[in-house]
Amino acid sequence: MTPSGTLEMTLNLRLADAASTPREESVLQQSRALDRFLAGVERRAYRIAQMALRNEDDALDVVQGAMLRLARNYGQRPSEEWQPLFYRILYNGIRDAQRRRTVRSRIFALWPGSSRDGDEEPNDPYEHVADGAPEPSARLMAAEAMEKLESALGQLPARQQEAFTLRCLEGLDVAATAAAMGCSEGSVKTHYFRALQTLRAQLGEVW
Amino acid sequence: MTNENEQSGAFEQRAREVFDASVDGLDARTRSKLNQARHAATAELERSRRSPWLSWAPAGALAAAALVAVMLWRGPGTSDAPPVQQARVQQAPATDASGDAAEILAAGDDLDLVSEDLEFYEFVAYATDDSGNGVG
Repeated sequence: MTPSGTLEMTLNLRLADAASTPREESVLQQSRALDRFLAGVERRAYRIAQMALRNEDDALDVVQGAMLRLARNYGQRPSEEWQPLFYRILYNGIRDAQRRRTVRSRIFALWPGSSRDGDEEPNDPYEHVADGAPEPSARLMAAEAMEKLESALGQLPARQQEAFTLRCLEGLDVAATAAAMGCSEGSVKTHYFRALQTLRAQLGEVW
Repeated sequence: MTNENEQSGAFEQRAREVFDASVDGLDARTRSKLNQARHAATAELERSRRSPWLSWAPAGALAAAALVAVMLWRGPGTSDAPPVQQARVQQAPATDASGDAAEILAAGDDLDLVSEDLEFYEFVAYATDDSGNGVG
């Protein structure tokens, strides 16, 4: 049984046990709704954070923090509001992580004889071992295309990156993107148009 | 213009496909960690909804810590009286029994003496009670 199937069964059992009190039932229903929402966005959110931060551990930390903050501060809000709120929290976390990294790199640069090589964790010996899953050429081509997209996205201004990621890759509409970015819908359209033009100019021929 | 829109649409479609493929290709370790993070978040929601007063716990703890800090800073011997009055209070002889007891307890050396001659002090107290004016 898959982990999500096990969780579903556990939640169902708990829901049946706690059906005696309406409040408990409401809590569990909200919990299930949040679980479904997070299951739908967690991997995409992780990839967005990874693209922005270029570090897997930092990306995981940011996504985990965003999930907890959403649950703690906005878990009782209607589930329709979660998507823009979640992405807003996520991008705030990404910006905080980038800021911390900038400060850290400045401190390291000032420290005499310091080297950032020591910070890196030793290579995982199993990192490049095949996991047995089929790896067709189409997947490799998609991976190469994604690398180019990531590289081109990384050269855009931060707000254009956000607009393109949320509008195009995540499929949010203009209003939800504006809510997530904390700006007007007109600004979203402008940022998105400029991002699209730049990316097409850079990738259009080689893609 | 239509051609331009079509090209933009094709580019967006391609970007979505590439991104979706990269999401599908996440390794098991990352998926597992995301799964754990999600469970922690849902548990957090249940905890906060079942006991909403817990969200005030950090603020309460902070207020209590601040209160203790203020009490320690002011110290047990300080009072609101002006310095001159405080000096008078310190110079005044201790006349009541509780004041004597506090003095004895405060002087650590004298406690040994009291414990050694406990029988003598009991006798003195007994004699004082009987005569009303003390022994002799």
